[in-house]
Amino acid sequence: MKKISIILVCAMLLFSLAACASNDNPGTPPPAGGDDNQTQTGGNDTSGGGGTDTPPAAGVIEITIPHYKVGANVGALFFLPQVDRFNAKYEGVYKINIEEVPQDDYADKIQQLVQQGMAPALIEGGPQTWLEEVVIPEGMFYDLSTFLAGAPDIADFFLPENIAHNSRSGKLFSLTYPVVRPMTIFYNGDMFSPSKSFAELSWDDVISELGDNKIAFMTSENAWTTMLTLSSMIAAEPGGAELLTNGVVDKITDFSHPAIVNAMTKLQTLLQNHASSNTIGAAYADAANSFMSMNSALIANGPWMVGDFMPDSEDKWSNGFNGDMVRGDVLPGNVGLANVLGYGWWIPSSVPQEQAEAAWAFIAFMMSADELEQYMLAEGGTAPRVPVNDAFLAARADNRILDELINAVNANTIFAPAFADAIPSSVADPEFGKLLPKLIDGSLTAAEFCDELTRIAAETAN
Amino acid sequence: MDTKSKLGRRNLPWVFIFLLPTLVMFAMFYLWPIIEVFYTSFTRYRGFGLHTAEWLGFANFTRLFNMQSFLISITNIALWSVLAIVLHVSFGVVVAFIFYRGIPGWKFARAAFMVPVVISSAAWAMIYRFIFNNDFGLLNNIIRIFNPDFQLNWFFSSPAAFWAITFTWVFYAVIVTMVVLGDLMAIPSDLLEAASIDGASSWQKTWFIKLPLCRFSIGTGVIMSVTSRISMYEAIALTSRGGPGDDTMSLSLILVRAISDNNFGLANATAVIMFIMGILTMVIVNKLFRMNDSVY
Repeated sequence: MKKISIILVCAMLLFSLAACASNDNPGTPPPAGGDDNQTQTGGNDTSGGGGTDTPPAAGVIEITIPHYKVGANVGALFFLPQVDRFNAKYEGVYKINIEEVPQDDYADKIQQLVQQGMAPALIEGGPQTWLEEVVIPEGMFYDLSTFLAGAPDIADFFLPENIAHNSRSGKLFSLTYPVVRPMTIFYNGDMFSPSKSFAELSWDDVISELGDNKIAFMTSENAWTTMLTLSSMIAAEPGGAELLTNGVVDKITDFSHPAIVNAMTKLQTLLQNHASSNTIGAAYADAANSFMSMNSALIANGPWMVGDFMPDSEDKWSNGFNGDMVRGDVLPGNVGLANVLGYGWWIPSSVPQEQAEAAWAFIAFMMSADELEQYMLAEGGTAPRVPVNDAFLAARADNRILDELINAVNANTIFAPAFADAIPSSVADPEFGKLLPKLIDGSLTAAEFCDELTRIAAETAN
Repeated sequence: MDTKSKLGRRNLPWVFIFLLPTLVMFAMFYLWPIIEVFYTSFTRYRGFGLHTAEWLGFANFTRLFNMQSFLISITNIALWSVLAIVLHVSFGVVVAFIFYRGIPGWKFARAAFMVPVVISSAAWAMIYRFIFNNDFGLLNNIIRIFNPDFQLNWFFSSPAAFWAITFTWVFYAVIVTMVVLGDLMAIPSDLLEAASIDGASSWQKTWFIKLPLCRFSIGTGVIMSVTSRISMYEAIALTSRGGPGDDTMSLSLILVRAISDNNFGLANATAVIMFIMGILTMVIVNKLFRMNDSVY
């Protein structure tokens, strides 16, 4: 009897171990178009590493997606209310929950979840190298063209070059917002008055006019504002815009091109003489705070920052700053940074069909004309293929800064993608930012800095 | 004797049955992953099943040894290991001896000394990021009392970043202290009384009796602190991120970077190097501290 009990206990231990190790969920339907070997996310709630505390209502397809447009992130101002609008519209049918992830960790988190077979139902982008070398070649995505074919109201909105970039063997990988939002420069009109519009000034002109004014730079996270400034300097150099454009598809791994070295030299001058005091080690929030506390007079950023200058963001202002002081313009050299060859929202193939449908419903909702109009009013940009109504145009004209940004672009504006889009992902973040302190303290010259980037690109190449 | 061995043979199957759950657990969660890491370190591997791994021989290791960041990482780990032995372990041992003497309030001091252990290393790194901040950091504000013009971004300047990283762990030797304190408290009192009767001074008892009797725990402390330096990640990733440049790089950062680049073969080659370094540390410390010989 004793022996039998012991055998039973051992057997139970083994079975429980085997049960814990198994991740099969009989309630989960098989994926459509996905790899059968991939692990499924369970039940009605696909929790991208997160989940919900309360069980979903019967019949409601509930999905949880990790995203960084939350909390203090500038994108949260528009994105979270949009999720609420979606949930209200599809109440009783679909429900989207957002799991908060810091922007800096989003790409890593997504990559890890997909790698572990726990991909959330909906993902926005991801590291470009990873998408192009793993996700797309391995077919780890739902073909969105089949969904898009059933949505004639939005099918024509998307930019053809972006659709072509996202298409592989007739399958559509992802959909980006059909909105072109060139990165621009914001400056505090009370602190800095350029002699002409930025379209007519080169970076050299701006540097000579800056006086004691500072620019909000950063070296932490992905060194975003610093990288944008560098991008505009490269784009303004002869051959620079082409170099960046070509880099989106064929990544730049040799940084000795004169356009990059010359731009880096100018950037070093700026960083050493006109950088905000907290530049070294500053994250995006620090750079934005520097600008919105009158410690710096200029910041390079996307039009989505306009939301921070509206009266309802007053709690972010200090030291006498007021959103009315802000002016928007193209970057010096008449440069607008925009990449239409990016990757956007995609649905992993490991996601069950019903959750994929919920994910698609959210994509279609975001890309509807009404939502795109609201998006452009909140975060700027223009949608060349989306019909807009007069009310929208009037509302946009009411937003002085957005209006300034749109009017700043002219026929001679040079459009180019940002430096980060044209270089390998791991060089863009974190290696570029990690190396910047050495450019600032002068321990590396601009040419040496470029050599270091070349070395790192070779080290991290696959 | 014959009866005993008969009994032993009869119980042998039961020994295996009882060990089975542990063995299965070990094989699933330790042995197999380690084998997989070793195998894939010789391959080009994207993480989609071993059948997709493409054999490369020693290419990942050759590439690793030719990387400047790898050589800097090895140098950093060597320096941190020396500091761990010289400062970290020594400090932990000294604190253990102070606690052992039972100075007034030692129980409170022991609890206070334990605090860093209950704070996650990630949170601890963030706290240090604030302490070492140039604009509002505690350290620079204290220094500016004496030198108002002082400016230093500790985590982003050379060579300050190396020392700032070092300060995040060097004086938090709680584990070493606890292990050594356990050994000290286990020393038989008659041994110390005999030494007192023989006229040994307090210093002589410490140097010639207590310290040698704590050999195992000090050796264990050295192994733990050096292997922690080899695998140190959060303290660097959340502060300097291995910078400025590669000044504070470590193997764990190279490993994570390789994973981000979908280069699991290179990442696992780095892991193998870390594994070998850990084993070497254990072997060397075992030899130096004669861990296999009895202290009594």
